[in-house]
Amino acid sequence: MMDAGRHPRIKMLTYSEIEEVTGYVGNFKARIRKKAKYVNENECTACGECAKICPVVVPNEFQMGLSTRKAIHIPFPQAVPSAYILDMDNCLGNNPIACGKCDDVCDKKCIDYDMQDEIININVGAVVVATGMDVYDPTALDDYGYTRFENVITSMEFERLICSEGPTQGHFIRPTDHKTPKTIGFIQCVGSRTQDPERGNPYCSNICCMNTVKDSLLLKDHYPDIEVKVFYMDIRAFGKGFEDLFMRSKEAGVMYIRGIPGEIEQDPKSNNLKLMVENTTTRQLEEHDLDMVVLSVGVIPRKDQEVVKKLFSLSSTSDGFLMESHPKLKPVDAPTGGVFFAGCAEFPKDVKDSVTQASAAAARAGTLLSAGKIKIEAITAVVDEEKCKLCGICVRVCPFNAIIFDKATKQPAHVIEASCKGCGTCSAECTFDAITMQHFTDRQMYAQIEAILSDKPMEKIVTFACNWCSYAGADLAGLSRLQFPANARIIRTMCSGRVKDKFVLHAFKLGAPIVLVSGCHFADCHYIDANRWTQKRVWKLWDKLEKMGVRPERLQLEWVSAAEGQKWSKVMKACEELRQQVTEEEVQQTIKTLKQEEEKKSSRAKKQPAPA
Amino acid sequence: MTEKKVGFEFRERLNKIVGGNHHNYCYQCGSCVAICPAARFSDDFNPRDILLKTLLGKPEELISADSIIWKCTNCYSCYERCPQDVRPVEVIIALKNICAEDGVLPPNVDKFSDTIAKSGRSVVMTSTVNRRRAELGLPELKDPPLNELEILLE
Repeated sequence: MMDAGRHPRIKMLTYSEIEEVTGYVGNFKARIRKKAKYVNENECTACGECAKICPVVVPNEFQMGLSTRKAIHIPFPQAVPSAYILDMDNCLGNNPIACGKCDDVCDKKCIDYDMQDEIININVGAVVVATGMDVYDPTALDDYGYTRFENVITSMEFERLICSEGPTQGHFIRPTDHKTPKTIGFIQCVGSRTQDPERGNPYCSNICCMNTVKDSLLLKDHYPDIEVKVFYMDIRAFGKGFEDLFMRSKEAGVMYIRGIPGEIEQDPKSNNLKLMVENTTTRQLEEHDLDMVVLSVGVIPRKDQEVVKKLFSLSSTSDGFLMESHPKLKPVDAPTGGVFFAGCAEFPKDVKDSVTQASAAAARAGTLLSAGKIKIEAITAVVDEEKCKLCGICVRVCPFNAIIFDKATKQPAHVIEASCKGCGTCSAECTFDAITMQHFTDRQMYAQIEAILSDKPMEKIVTFACNWCSYAGADLAGLSRLQFPANARIIRTMCSGRVKDKFVLHAFKLGAPIVLVSGCHFADCHYIDANRWTQKRVWKLWDKLEKMGVRPERLQLEWVSAAEGQKWSKVMKACEELRQQVTEEEVQQTIKTLKQEEEKKSSRAKKQPAPA
Repeated sequence: MTEKKVGFEFRERLNKIVGGNHHNYCYQCGSCVAICPAARFSDDFNPRDILLKTLLGKPEELISADSIIWKCTNCYSCYERCPQDVRPVEVIIALKNICAEDGVLPPNVDKFSDTIAKSGRSVVMTSTVNRRRAELGLPELKDPPLNELEILLE
């Protein structure tokens, strides 16, 4: 951090928040609010006179509330810039009659009670999101008694207690009697690896095992006599050198007991803790008396992550962390062009992995910026300005905010090609057919549907499959030699969002017995949330079909991922079964109804006077 | 050495019973044993071990009249504590149902179900109960509709 602060080409804006981001890859405009620190950070020499005289004492957030700080303070010893900051919520200095002591003692006169937030507008080419994570709060796990028993602490609090710059100057003591504990227990997987939403998250938090191994070694280094017990279900020492550290910890005499304790009880007199645990390796129920228990807490997505997600139109995976563009091939790229991830914002990871990802993100951003130009996919949307009726639907549905349209200026919608990823949702939603998806144009789609249904339409299943998941899933089914009916005719689209309601109706009009629309699972969509629009469109179509007297079951909607060859084969078999139930008369009736609808529509259009 | 083989047949049978399907999620952390009051007082009762045997598909030791599953007190502590939503108590209840299907119930359970079928109550009614209720000002208990119960039990 110091190095970054000193670097001539890195500008660091601390205590600042991004308020708004507009633009697209290479041309982002960010509005940043640099919050008032009430101390001139360039003049402050961090002499500390102000903090000595400040009369306001509040809990120190950095020390997990285990010690105190003044209203004027440095957040933590290595903070950059090394300057004091005034916490205005607690300061008395708003009214100089009340206090103003820090201003009196400051030789350089750098305290300014009237300092205002500063708005900075900057243009940037690429963005790296490294917003980090939060730590799981184990208060909800009542059986561990965190906050009920003072001697039950979290691994974060442990970190402060053993740190030489911590509240105890590194003397490890327990909160109730300020004595060094003789026995200490660590409980693993607190708030991680659970299917019960009230007990935490389903994923493994990745860092807590090695953190505990490290903590146990720290304790054994400082206090060789201390008895350390680790209650775990699996120790995941998967990284380079991790197994060595785990072995060292075992050699140092740390007891690893495989079994998760049930409940912690406290002795009201001595404040010692007691827990029951089954040692699953010996199958014995053991009772352990401990002076102190450390809960090895997991990691959760930041609580304010929604703000970041909205700023850059990002999405998150089911675990709540930010979703990458591709889990294997583009692990540092966000789905939005020009945005990259580093660190725990993407998923919990240790220091080494964070540095690796940060380096990759910097390199990805560097590649983008140094070229000055970017190659974009040829598959983009183009607006026919004459047909555009300024309704604004395309702007609303675009997952990448790639369409600009200003109602006030009455300019037709315009696609920013650099941001457009080519899902085709805008084209599918446009009621005036004003948007052409290049390489997946309406004409091409109709031609494919017509070709499929030109011969023996009753035997065909018209299938729309998205390029990334369902088409690949069908491919996998084929490669895995899975059996499924061969009468499906697949039309590839980039995203299921491209499937216009008119395509489906056109297929029915030409005598299709069954139409299947298939896309990626939710949160798996390669175009952020374009398949949500597919779902809405199909729901609407079902309503419409029902009103027209067509069985809605004849339009199927399925989510099949690239790994689900089995599911694809199952879906195809189900569709084939449905197809066999469709009769010739039913199809003829549908064709008749659809033709009547069309006639009604065209006669209505003729009656209406042409717009002036 | 005994042959090491997972009995999938038994697991599939268990999966079809309500509550039994949850046994698949168990990762053997042992927190059910740590919280179990029955395990504290009985050396051989161990819910984790029962789950392990279901995972391995070994019904021989579980499905019998003197199996350890009958020592479960149905307190639901393990249900509350289990991080994987395995619901050990419900798996045990499912195992007991398999015992009933196979007709290997312990004699006291057999007697108990007979009592319910005959009287419609889990506790046998005596004149003392109604006298005590009258003293406490509670209405007299009437005989439960046995004909309805018969249909239910069928």
